[in-house]
Amino acid sequence: MKRILDVKNLQVSLPTPNGNLRAVRGIDLQVNKGEMLCIVGESGCGKSMTSMALMGLLPKRAEVTAEAMHFDGMDLLSLSKKERNQVRGMRMSMIFQEPMTSLNPSYTLGNQLCEGIIKHKKVSKDEAKKRAVYLLERAGVPYPEKRLDQYPHQLSGGLRQRVMIAMALMCEPDLIIADEPTTALDVTIQAQILRLIRELQQEFGTAVIFITHDLGVVARIADRVAVMYAGQVVETASAQDLFADPQHPYTKGLLNCIPIPGKTLPGSHLESIPGVVPSLIGELKGCAFENRCNASTGECCYRSPSLENHLGSAAHQVRCPIATASFQEAV
Amino acid sequence: MAEYALELTNLSRHFHLKNGAFKEPTLLKAVDGISLRIRPGETLGLVGESGCGKSTLAKMILGLLEPTDGDVLINDKMRGASSRLSMSRQLQPIFQDPYSSLNPRKTIEQIIRLPLQLHKIGDANSQQRAVKDICDLVGLPERLLKNYPGQLSGGQRQRVAIARALILKPNILVCDEPTSALDVSVQAQILNLLMDLKKELGLTYLFISHNLGVVEHLVDRVAVMYRGKIVEQGTREDIFQNAQHPYTQALLSSVLTPEPALGLPDVLDSSAWNQAS
Repeated sequence: MKRILDVKNLQVSLPTPNGNLRAVRGIDLQVNKGEMLCIVGESGCGKSMTSMALMGLLPKRAEVTAEAMHFDGMDLLSLSKKERNQVRGMRMSMIFQEPMTSLNPSYTLGNQLCEGIIKHKKVSKDEAKKRAVYLLERAGVPYPEKRLDQYPHQLSGGLRQRVMIAMALMCEPDLIIADEPTTALDVTIQAQILRLIRELQQEFGTAVIFITHDLGVVARIADRVAVMYAGQVVETASAQDLFADPQHPYTKGLLNCIPIPGKTLPGSHLESIPGVVPSLIGELKGCAFENRCNASTGECCYRSPSLENHLGSAAHQVRCPIATASFQEAV
Repeated sequence: MAEYALELTNLSRHFHLKNGAFKEPTLLKAVDGISLRIRPGETLGLVGESGCGKSTLAKMILGLLEPTDGDVLINDKMRGASSRLSMSRQLQPIFQDPYSSLNPRKTIEQIIRLPLQLHKIGDANSQQRAVKDICDLVGLPERLLKNYPGQLSGGQRQRVAIARALILKPNILVCDEPTSALDVSVQAQILNLLMDLKKELGLTYLFISHNLGVVEHLVDRVAVMYRGKIVEQGTREDIFQNAQHPYTQALLSSVLTPEPALGLPDVLDSSAWNQAS
């Protein structure tokens, strides 16, 4: 399988009046062609910062460093602004959370759909329109020709998200980053949009990084999952392995907090994760999850754990020495 | 004791949407003839998609919006019959977004204490004591009382909203999506709190949510709303195990549980439930 994105030790820090806020604290990501990688985590864990850093959309004052950030053989960090603009939009594109705010209200949909492809691929207006109509139709938008002359406010939320998906596919990108694309939608519409993303992804062979906080969504669409906490990946595995055999205490905690229809006894006490996420300003000592973890020992306060292979396989990695050690003992 | 804590009889709210100066306004039936009854100590879950009229219904129950037609009865008394103050002692809201529903310029203590001051209950000392007691009850650390909402996390803010709602000792709480703005780990804490409070204080809840997993966990009865009407209502078992209406079935099949083997649900055709409703 061809590797499309390879990121090593990505760090993002933002200056604040109280010190440097280290939003992303060393993340490794690999995405293969045609693969769906889900990044899951709670608010403030750095998942959106990661996606913005990959797209190169962070403000100038944000400091982005990485040992490697290779996209299809190119080193993204060494590209000039102009070259980066060429990559963004043409070879990697993004679907945002809020279809209400991410479309420009004062331009027609046709204008916004065609802008990128005309600029990047130097096609004629007519060709661009033809492709826009084709993709709108594929995305399940009724009356695609008519939509080109409409404005975003004339469409419902679900339709707008379909337009965003069509827009992301206009230049046949190799990678799409979808940042919570279904959070603002109703559950019945959410199922339709997820199915659409999955189908189009398989049809066009696009790699997708899907960012969400909803473990239910992750379970149903992901090939691989990375669980993030406090700016780090704490566990990564295939979707099957992660849900069947979660290792990190945080992953287990997250899965236990959700009431599942038909499984959780109604009215029973739900498990929750006590405490709050630590402040990411300045250096963190030891394991970031230590203060909320029910398995923590004295050592966790000062030793920062690294991602270790679970069962000797690089396909399932966990950032918790206790989880790894207890497993070895059991074997 | 009243027979029903909350009773809605044929409640409607219509809006006239203007289509320009010379065109006929269109009629939007946001809530269209809804009748519901909630017994004391019962939790009723109200589910439905955005724009189906859930929040309009909640606003009418709270007295924030006048109904076009129909009545709201609280503890067997008409909503309009007694003063707003006496109604608010029986019924209190918890809103969705703890980030915008708390006044950012007031300290937590001022926010929780304000209802007591408005209702002229007790003197300054007993009010302060009542605030501390209620903070204990909802699990809010006392040291936060001097802080402002901006300094609190989402879960703490929602605890403040619950404390503020409970300080007048109402018997009914109208919760409009109380956990949808929170992370899942925090959501579990707030749900546990709501369940504990119900046991301890014998509260009646109207629980509005689009999260069916949460609704199944919390409620005794469910009402499913679609386009301003209740399309199906019944006990939790009725709805979750034996749903009759196609829209309820579609809602249930769209719930994504963390089970990778199941894959994505089939996309259902909305014409099925449009015809049925």
